[in-house]
Amino acid sequence: MTPATHPSGRWRWLPPAVLGILALSAAGVFLRAGTSSPRRHRVMMQGMAFQPAFLEVTQGDTIVWTNRDIVPHTATSEASPAWTTGALTQGESGRYVARTAGEIRYFCELHLGMRGTIKVR
Amino acid sequence: MSVLYPRRLPVVLLSAFCATGLAAQSTATDLSDAEVAHVAVTANTIDIELARFAQARATDPAVKQFAATMITDHSAVNGQASALAGKLGITPRDNAVSQSLLTSASQARSALEPLHGRAFDRAYLEREVGYHQAVLEALDGVLIPTTSNAELGQLLREARQAVAAHLEHARHLLASRGRGW
Repeated sequence: MTPATHPSGRWRWLPPAVLGILALSAAGVFLRAGTSSPRRHRVMMQGMAFQPAFLEVTQGDTIVWTNRDIVPHTATSEASPAWTTGALTQGESGRYVARTAGEIRYFCELHLGMRGTIKVR
Repeated sequence: MSVLYPRRLPVVLLSAFCATGLAAQSTATDLSDAEVAHVAVTANTIDIELARFAQARATDPAVKQFAATMITDHSAVNGQASALAGKLGITPRDNAVSQSLLTSASQARSALEPLHGRAFDRAYLEREVGYHQAVLEALDGVLIPTTSNAELGQLLREARQAVAAHLEHARHLLASRGRGW
């Protein structure tokens, strides 16, 4: 009589192996969640406004502004050290990589009513 | 190729321009889309030329910056208008409204000529508020609703957004300088 609860022969190694694989998979998922790839966020310069005007991103993410208006726009930070996309004409894009956590307020140098905020986690 | 139909330009447009002394006509005028395009290009050019004068004459850095923006933006709109006209195969056609605008612009320039310092800065901004307000009313009341060509209409709607932003910018500068200016 062979005990049903004690596998023998070549199947004896299966439970530890399955557990090991599951453990490694779980660790992989966890690691991926902790070091997710940088994302790209789009902001339209349209109707003399930044759309969306508020954006929440993660450190390392890239923000891309694209001008859809017929007049030029910039996205320029208020705080120092200042950065700017420079003047973008219709159809042009500019980008910024958010490397430091915090809140960034920015505006259009040409149209002072255009303002936006990026929250970097 | 799109067809540009003649359109009637009602008195309301002329009234809007009259509000700032930009025109003195009292009768309705028949304008084609090609003539509407000419009015738009003329209105932009007038503001560009006045802004160039203001850049040289103004003393307040914010007023100089505003003038620079007027040059940049109105030049961009005119560039788009020229490109669209080329695409549609039309030449913007001179007309009585454009001529009236030019005459009024010349008078406005003459009024600003003797002014200097803060007096000039204030008068220039006041002129810009009145001018952009009148152009906005003309766009909303007549030019946009009566333009038959879809692409020209779209260009005017996009230009309207810039004109509205310019108006708010000029108003903000005037208000921020206060009555003591």
